[in-house]
Amino acid sequence: MKAKIFASIAVTITGAILLYAVTDFPNFGDPRSPANAGVEGGSSSASLYYIENTYRDTKVPNLVTAILADYRGYDTLFETVVIFTAGMAIFAILRVLRNEDAPSAPDPESTNRTIDGDHHRIIVGITCRIAVPLVQIFALYVVAHGHHSPGGGFQGGVMLGASFILIALSGSLRDALARFSEASYIRLASLGILIYAGVAFLPLVFGRNFVDYGALRGLLGTEGEEMARSHGIFGVELGVAFTVMSVMFAIFANLSTRGRLKGGL
Amino acid sequence: MSDHLPVLVLLAPLFGAIAIGLFGMRDHRVCLPVVLSALVLSLCCAIGIVLKVHAGGTLDYFVAGWKAPRGIGIVLRADAINSPILVVIAIVAILAAVFTVRHAGERDTEKTPHFYILFLLLCVGLFGITITGDAFNVFVLIEVTALTSYGLIAIGGSKRCKVAAFHYLIMGTVGASFYLIGVGYLYLKLGSLNMQDIHTILASNESLADSRAIRTAFVFILVGIWTKMAFFPLHGWLPNAYSYSPSGSAAILAPLVTKVSVYVMVRMMVSVFGLDHLEANVEWGHFVVWLAIIAIAAGSTMALAQREIKKMLCCLIIAEVGYMVGGAWLGDPQRWGLTGTVYHILADALMTSCLFLAAGAFAKWHGAAKLEDLSGLFRKMPLAATGFVVGGLAIIGVPPTCGFYSKFYLIRGAIEAGHWVYVAALLASSLVNAVLFFRIFEIAYFGKNPVESHGHGDDHGHDHESEPVVRREPPLHALIPLLAAAALVILLGLCNGTVVEFIRTGLIETATVVSTGR
Repeated sequence: MKAKIFASIAVTITGAILLYAVTDFPNFGDPRSPANAGVEGGSSSASLYYIENTYRDTKVPNLVTAILADYRGYDTLFETVVIFTAGMAIFAILRVLRNEDAPSAPDPESTNRTIDGDHHRIIVGITCRIAVPLVQIFALYVVAHGHHSPGGGFQGGVMLGASFILIALSGSLRDALARFSEASYIRLASLGILIYAGVAFLPLVFGRNFVDYGALRGLLGTEGEEMARSHGIFGVELGVAFTVMSVMFAIFANLSTRGRLKGGL
Repeated sequence: MSDHLPVLVLLAPLFGAIAIGLFGMRDHRVCLPVVLSALVLSLCCAIGIVLKVHAGGTLDYFVAGWKAPRGIGIVLRADAINSPILVVIAIVAILAAVFTVRHAGERDTEKTPHFYILFLLLCVGLFGITITGDAFNVFVLIEVTALTSYGLIAIGGSKRCKVAAFHYLIMGTVGASFYLIGVGYLYLKLGSLNMQDIHTILASNESLADSRAIRTAFVFILVGIWTKMAFFPLHGWLPNAYSYSPSGSAAILAPLVTKVSVYVMVRMMVSVFGLDHLEANVEWGHFVVWLAIIAIAAGSTMALAQREIKKMLCCLIIAEVGYMVGGAWLGDPQRWGLTGTVYHILADALMTSCLFLAAGAFAKWHGAAKLEDLSGLFRKMPLAATGFVVGGLAIIGVPPTCGFYSKFYLIRGAIEAGHWVYVAALLASSLVNAVLFFRIFEIAYFGKNPVESHGHGDDHGHDHESEPVVRREPPLHALIPLLAAAALVILLGLCNGTVVEFIRTGLIETATVVSTGR
């Protein structure tokens, strides 16, 4: 009870400070707000620069993708590393590698059933078996089409991960693990980071800065540096998709079985 | 390649982590060479950065080559304040890596690769926070650092380290979100995330600098960072998290994570908001020094009450954080307080590294978790005990260890600022540290042979009854880092003149940036 009172006081104070600051904010959607138009004395606004120059610089019509993977590609590399880290941390904490550590493991056979029981299994199983490839194709489309429409590596990766989780939910985790084993998802997660960091690192070989995909022009055989940036962004998105997909499934597999990778839902 | 040093320093551990992920899962023997070579490479890069900064001043690295207009791309910025910190991070990481050769996760040796992946990613995060010149990038890397820390703490087998990690996770997430809110407000008002850009705008625009949103942003950033560094009222997560984690994790987490957060605070004060701006607009600066005094007093008092070695060291970290926050906020015109803070970041990282390595070695090879268990230590492992003594003397502040000089500069700043209570708190805390450590030295030197009933698993099972204690040092992979840390503590103390002069060029450079900006 005391803790609750203390917590509510802390929350009230924090909220009050935040409200105090809100009165000073520029109007919502104001085109002349600092974030949109820049401030006197500072450099001209970043937003304006992005809107005016992104397509010229990178040949990517979707500004968000270009900002995410090129202008601030360095941040996104570490966002991907965060996801990879989350997967590794979950593994380090949950995964049970020795049998005696298993907290009173129930018989795997008894929990190796789907939620619905056997008679629904055929309908659910076959429906999902049809759905999974479609989901995956759409996911690949989302990954590849990040240049033109909302999407990209993170979203596509989540869908790919979800397709494997769907296999696990509709059939059993064992089916899913047979297709996507533990060794392969750890390797794929690392490979994703390697693709991202590798594409970002390659420009160093040509004497340019980190993440400067424009340097890859010769390697990719594109006409100008802009197209090379566009292709660089695609490579990076692919890396993100690999990592996100693997980590999604790894987290599901470890959480649902308390780290034993047996039985489960 | 030398132009790329600022990014190579953190790419080396990143590629190391990837290599372990790809090849280390099957064959655990891959891990250690990869970790060590990655970290040694980082150390070389960090030393290279220091030399370049020394020769040519501040080093800017434009990621993706986006130079103009400022604030479009992300810039990495190495100057005289953060480049020595990079070197210390690399050194402490190498020492901790050598220490963990055998027993990475202490119990689950099957998880060695995961331990080392998290370990290297932690280094990536720490290097990244230290070198970046972008306020949002700091947040992303704080996330990397925090997640790896939770993992490294919870990887130990016991249940209590998982609870401690969970507690840390809640506090750490709140701290990181506060920082993020602060950065969001700054962007809302200033339209920039680049630290230098923010600084220029604030310095040139009086009305903006005084606005409510900017003030709130500063408070939120500050409180967020304080949570991350375990500044006194927000310190709750630290003692359990660091004392229950495996020794190998504690040897890197305890010296570095809090110190890097202190660096972020210094960076925010010096080159984002600007010291002149803070003095003009922040009326509660002296209040922070009082908070720091309370933190010092509380940390020291809690340390006195502890019976466990690691818990005691954790409480000392809380007191040390108080030193640094207080020093940074003294506001003396010559900036000696701030100099002392930056120097103390380096000194405290090495001292804490030395002490936690020693505590880890004692816990493992002497079975000592509590202070009383240390009796007979000098006869059993004289070299390791000497390393511990050097660390202890540094915390007390005995010359020629670096602890003495950092206190010297902090006190000089406090005297020039006329803050006598802070001086008194520093001296009183040194006295408490002296009491604490001499009590331990007494037990370890004059204490009777280890008592049979100390109940902690002394798994080497040496004979307690036999009268002459057999000399049995910890194995070399634990002894060498410990002694190296002790030697570095003394070396940093002896070289204090050079180091401080180097740091001051950085501080004065940024201070003049403020005055020309107007």
